[in-house]
Amino acid sequence: MWNKRDEELGRPMPPQQPGAAPLPPVQPPPVASDRYDAAAIGSSIKIVGDVTGDEDLTILGKIEGKIVLPKHSVTIGQSGRVKADIQAKFVSVAGEVHGNLVAAEQIVIRKTATMLGNLTAPRVGLEDGCRFRGSVEMEAPAEKGRPAPAQSASASSGVSGSSGGTSVASSSPAAVSAPKHEPLARP
Amino acid sequence: MSLWRAPERPVRWFMRTSPAVEPAAVGAHRSLALQALLKGLHPEERPAVLDLGPPLSGNIKFLSALNCRVRVADIHGSLVAEPVEKRRPDAMPALLETLLPLAPDERFDAVLAWDVFDYLRKDQVTALMMRLVPRFRRSAQMLVLVSMRRQLPAVPVRYRIVDGENLDCEKPPAHGASEPMRPCPHYKQSDLGHMMPGLSVRRCYLLRSGIQEYLMAPD
Repeated sequence: MWNKRDEELGRPMPPQQPGAAPLPPVQPPPVASDRYDAAAIGSSIKIVGDVTGDEDLTILGKIEGKIVLPKHSVTIGQSGRVKADIQAKFVSVAGEVHGNLVAAEQIVIRKTATMLGNLTAPRVGLEDGCRFRGSVEMEAPAEKGRPAPAQSASASSGVSGSSGGTSVASSSPAAVSAPKHEPLARP
Repeated sequence: MSLWRAPERPVRWFMRTSPAVEPAAVGAHRSLALQALLKGLHPEERPAVLDLGPPLSGNIKFLSALNCRVRVADIHGSLVAEPVEKRRPDAMPALLETLLPLAPDERFDAVLAWDVFDYLRKDQVTALMMRLVPRFRRSAQMLVLVSMRRQLPAVPVRYRIVDGENLDCEKPPAHGASEPMRPCPHYKQSDLGHMMPGLSVRRCYLLRSGIQEYLMAPD
C-alpha cells in the first residue's frame, strides 16, 4: 500500500518479491525512441547545406543553405540564425532569417524576429515590433504556376501540431481574404 | 427583511483587454488621399505596393485582400540601425542599394510614405526618391504624410488602415506620457518638389490634426 504512494511520487520502488504480480513494462526514455514529434537543432549547432525531412523542426542554432519540409512546420527560436530559403507547411520565426519563406498554410513573424526576405503563404502574421524587410504575398504557393482551387480548402484546416497556433494572424482564412469593407469600385 | 437580492454584476464589464500590450490609439482621421490612392489600384492587375514604413500586419492584410503584392521597406528603422558613417550623404546611394534592393523589372503601382520623410534628412529623401521614381509605373501614386506641428514624437507613429478612407494613428506601446520629442522639419510642398524630382503633387489635404496629406504622381 505504501508502494502506491511512492509510485505516484516517482520514487524507486523496492524489488518485487517472487510470485508477486509483474510490473508493467518500463517505457523507454524519449531519447531511446526512433520516432520524434519534432526535431531540434540546438543553439550550438551549425549546419551548412540543405535540410530536408519528414517531421517538424525547431531551429535554435545556425543553418545556411536550404530547408525543405513541405508537410511539416519549421520554428526558428529566438537564438536561431538562418540564412536559407525555407519551404514548409507552417513557419514561425522568432530569431533571425535571411531568405525567402514559402508556407502552404501560415507564416508568423514574432516580435523578436528579424526577417529579411519575401513571404509567400495564404496567411501571414507580423507581430508589432518585429523587424521585417521584404515583400508579402498572401496566396497559396501553388497558385503561382497553375490554378489550384483545392489549395485554399486545404489551407483552411488547422495548423500542424507541435509549433502550436498563434493569435497573430487571424485563424479564420476568411478574415484575411476578405476585408470588412466592400471592395473598391473601379474608377 | 427583504429577500430581494441584486443580481451579480458581470465582471467582464469592468475588465480591460490587456492595456499594457495594446498601443495607445492617437486617433483616426478620414484620409481622402488614401481613398484616391486605393481607387487607382486595379486588383485584377495584382498591383505592387511599396510601404516605406514599418511592417504592420493589418495594413498588409488589407492590401493583400485587394490582391496587392506588398513590399515593406521600413526605411527609417533600417537607416537607424546602420552606423553613422554609412548614413553620410555621399554614402546614401550605396546604403540604399543594400537596404532596398530592387529587381531589374520591379515596378510599383503605389508607394506609402506615412510618417517617414519627417524622420529623414533632405539628402536622404532625395537619394531614396532618385532610386524609387524610375520604378514608378506611369499611373503610380505616392501617399505622403508630413507634419505641420512644432514637434514630433522621437519615434515615428504608425498609421493603420481602418477601411478604404480612414487611417488610424497609433503610437508604439513604448511611448509614455513623457515621450521624447524632436523638432519637426516642416517640409512644404515646394520642399517636396525639390527633394523628389520627377514627382509632382496632385492632391493636397491639410488635416485638423496638423498633418498634411500629399498625393504625388510622376510628372
